[in-house]
Amino acid sequence: MLNAESSVGKLACSREFAFAGDTSAMFAARDRIMQFLNAHGVDGELEIDVLVALQEALANAVLHGCASDPTKTVRCTVDVDDAEINIVIRDPGPGFDSYSGSELEDGTNLTNHGRGILLMRNLMDEISYHHHGSEVHMKKFRHHLD
Amino acid sequence: MLTVTVHSGLSAVTLLCHGRIVLGLEAETLRCIATSRPEHRVIVDLRDVCRMDASGLGLLVDLHCWAQQRAAELRIANPSSEVRRLFAITNLESVLGIDHAAQREFDTTGQRAMTA
Repeated sequence: MLNAESSVGKLACSREFAFAGDTSAMFAARDRIMQFLNAHGVDGELEIDVLVALQEALANAVLHGCASDPTKTVRCTVDVDDAEINIVIRDPGPGFDSYSGSELEDGTNLTNHGRGILLMRNLMDEISYHHHGSEVHMKKFRHHLD
Repeated sequence: MLTVTVHSGLSAVTLLCHGRIVLGLEAETLRCIATSRPEHRVIVDLRDVCRMDASGLGLLVDLHCWAQQRAAELRIANPSSEVRRLFAITNLESVLGIDHAAQREFDTTGQRAMTA
C-alpha cells in the first residue's frame, strides 16, 4: 500500500492511499483510512457515517471498477481539516451511469444490491461522480455535530 | 467478525448475532445458517450487531424473500440505533418485519455458536 501524507495548512492534512483491487486489500485500506481520520479527531456518529459511506465507495471501486482483480489499483485521497472531510476514490474501470435509477428509494427494492450509493448520498453531505463514474468525490462537514 | 448463536425452539429459531454483518464471509455465514433452518419462524436478533453495510442490508432482504417463498416468517429483532438508521435511509423498515423491543424468547439449552 502506498501512503503519502502532506500538511496542507493549519490543522489540515492530506493523505493518499493506493491498494490492490480485491476485497482483502480493500478492508485493510479502509481500516488504515479510518485510523488516519481517527488520528485527526473523527469519531462518534461522524466516524460511523464516514465509515459506512467509505465502505460502500471502496466496495464499488473494487467489485465494479476492478472486477476484484488484484492486479488493478484503487487510489484514494483523503483531506481532513477542522471544517470538513473530503474523500476522492478513483478506480481503473469504465465507470457507470450514476443516474441510471438503480438506487430505488421507495422501499420496493427487493434485490440484494443497489443500496450502496443510496447510503453514501444520505450519510455524506455531498457526493459527485467524475470521469464517467470511475471517480467519486465525497464531502462530510464536521460542524453538524459540534 | 460475526458470531451467530443459534437458539432453536419447537417452531422458531433465534439467530443471535454479535459483531458486524458486512460484505464478505460474515454476511454469507449468516445467509447459510438462516437458510439451513427448518423452523417456520426465523428471528434474526441484531441487538449485538455494531455495524452493517449495503451487503448486510441486501442479505436481510434476501432472507425476507426466502422466507416468503417458503411461507415462513422472518423477523428482525432489536436493531441498534445505527442499524435502524440504515433501515430508515433505505426504506427497509416498511419491508422487513422489525421488532424493536423483542424479548429473549429462548433458553440457553441446546444453543450453538458459529463465528465467521
